[in-house]
Amino acid sequence: MKLLLIEDEQELARSIISYLRGHSFVCEWAINAKTAIDKISIYDYDCILLDLMLPDSNGFEILKELKRQNKTEGVIIISAKETLETRIEGFNLGADDYLTKPFHLSELLVRIQALIRRKNFKGNNLFAFNEIVIDLLSKTVKVNTKKIDITKKEIDLLLYLIGNENRVLSKSAIAEHLSGDMADMLENYDFVYAHIKNLKNKLKEAGCNDYIKTVYGLGYKWQND
Amino acid sequence: MTKKLLHKTSRVYLLFSAVLLIVSAPLFYYITERLYIEETDETLILHKNEFVKYSLPTLKTADIQNWNKYNRNIKIEPFKNSGKDTIFYNSYYDALDAETEPYRELNTSILIDGNPYTYSARINLVETEDLMKSIAILFLVIISLLLIGLFVITKKLSINLWKPFYETLNQIEKFEIDKSNQPKLIETNIEEFNRLNKSIEKLIDKNTSIYHSQREFVENAAHELQTPLAVFQVKIDTLIQNSNFTEEQHKILSSMNDSVSRLNRLNKNLLLLSKMENEIYNEKQTINLNEAIEKQCDFFTEQAKAKNLIIKIEMNEAVAVKSNSVLAEILISNLFLNAIRHNISDGQVLVTLTNHSLIFTNTGPSQTLVIDKLFNRFSKSNPSEQGNGLGLAIIKKIAELNNWKISYSFANNFHSFSVTF
Repeated sequence: MKLLLIEDEQELARSIISYLRGHSFVCEWAINAKTAIDKISIYDYDCILLDLMLPDSNGFEILKELKRQNKTEGVIIISAKETLETRIEGFNLGADDYLTKPFHLSELLVRIQALIRRKNFKGNNLFAFNEIVIDLLSKTVKVNTKKIDITKKEIDLLLYLIGNENRVLSKSAIAEHLSGDMADMLENYDFVYAHIKNLKNKLKEAGCNDYIKTVYGLGYKWQND
Repeated sequence: MTKKLLHKTSRVYLLFSAVLLIVSAPLFYYITERLYIEETDETLILHKNEFVKYSLPTLKTADIQNWNKYNRNIKIEPFKNSGKDTIFYNSYYDALDAETEPYRELNTSILIDGNPYTYSARINLVETEDLMKSIAILFLVIISLLLIGLFVITKKLSINLWKPFYETLNQIEKFEIDKSNQPKLIETNIEEFNRLNKSIEKLIDKNTSIYHSQREFVENAAHELQTPLAVFQVKIDTLIQNSNFTEEQHKILSSMNDSVSRLNRLNKNLLLLSKMENEIYNEKQTINLNEAIEKQCDFFTEQAKAKNLIIKIEMNEAVAVKSNSVLAEILISNLFLNAIRHNISDGQVLVTLTNHSLIFTNTGPSQTLVIDKLFNRFSKSNPSEQGNGLGLAIIKKIAELNNWKISYSFANNFHSFSVTF
């Protein structure tokens, strides 16, 4: 998968690139709008991560440029600016997702994965990991071809964990992922523990390997041994 | 006791007129009476002098009877020692009117044919009284008219005079620093009011600009913090991927992670507050509160599990209010969170929705909270608690934006926050 990161904040860009690189992504980086437009004109990407506040231009200009060139890349806006207006304008100009800074890298990764899955949808909505098969459309999970009883939230959690395979996920990152818009309200992550425990039990009962590992003091990790 | 300005001046005028009338009426009566009596006395003396000069030298003792027969008011009576020119009041019965009438009478001794007699002249005072009454009434009417006229004119004049003052007062009353309705003070032709208006304008301009720069500062600060916070967050996310940490290092990382999350929330809430002040959320629509509460109920029931709280929701009919939908959601979630955060283990949360109020009641610390600063930013009842001290400030701000009232009460170990719309 080929990604283009358009971001002027170098420290942020480096961390994003290093996190994504471990997940079979080739990540290119444009530090300003000019470089970005040059790259877009030459190459095709699977996904573009776009910061709205760039030193030489407004991120919306890049969205317009993409439209002008009839490019169909998926675009995720990553911006510190967050008002309903900028969101709506972004979506109107063809962005697919909007992530407000600051965000967790794990969250960015699952958003990219979800976007690419939507873009590459070919009548096949199955997402598989070893013995686990998740049907994204009907929201069902099978372990060794046996359907298990699982809630929507647990499927969400499962996708998030698998998507961030072999990465340590902090409780706060998981909590924010699970609670969506309500994330700003939380300061107690105890419910994360409850969800992880339930998911672990359900997978275990179905005879699944124990992939979910607890990382002391920090959070959890989906580990494929 | 405070009174209106115009009231005060007219009250003084009214009082003055009343006192003047009360004092002047008897005084005027007394003085007119005195003047009239003096006049009567002079007439009596004049009559006597005429009598002494023209009638007396030719009068004989035999004429006395005739004189008395044809003169009703000047009589010659047998001598009674009355001295010279004594004037006094007397009353006589008037057979014609069948009543006793007051008279002014002059007695003096005269000699007729060498015999002493008493000359007695009198003047009826009845006419005098009538005349005096008429004069007094006329006088009172003129004075009253004068005072009423004066009173009305001054009142009209002061209303006109104070008009610019009242206009300024109205403008200032309508002024709110966080709204963009600058008062327009009208130029007057009175120097003092112009001075007043100018100083008020100056004061308002200065305060508004200070307020704006403060608001801008908060907004900019919160905005500028977003990027470094994002870097911080991302670096921690990257750092925790490293698998060979000691237990001590894990603890440090974990606490850093918690802190950055808290910082994020704090910053987002500050941004929200400054956005609300900038009237970004002034688009209102009709919202069904029942749905809004139900929508968030699952999430908070999950959050309440950690403390094993019981959440009860009481709502009967559908309640619709006018508000910005984003803000209404934030209001409800903040109230929910507040009721859960400050709760005790195995406690309760009761949400009551009626036609005109939304009440969140919860168990918690067994003493009442200090109300003064409860809704201020960063005021925490317990500094060691979680939470950033902005939740209630946000609730209050949202209530204000919708013209709702928020209040707190404590009874039977239950804290309750109620929003009245």
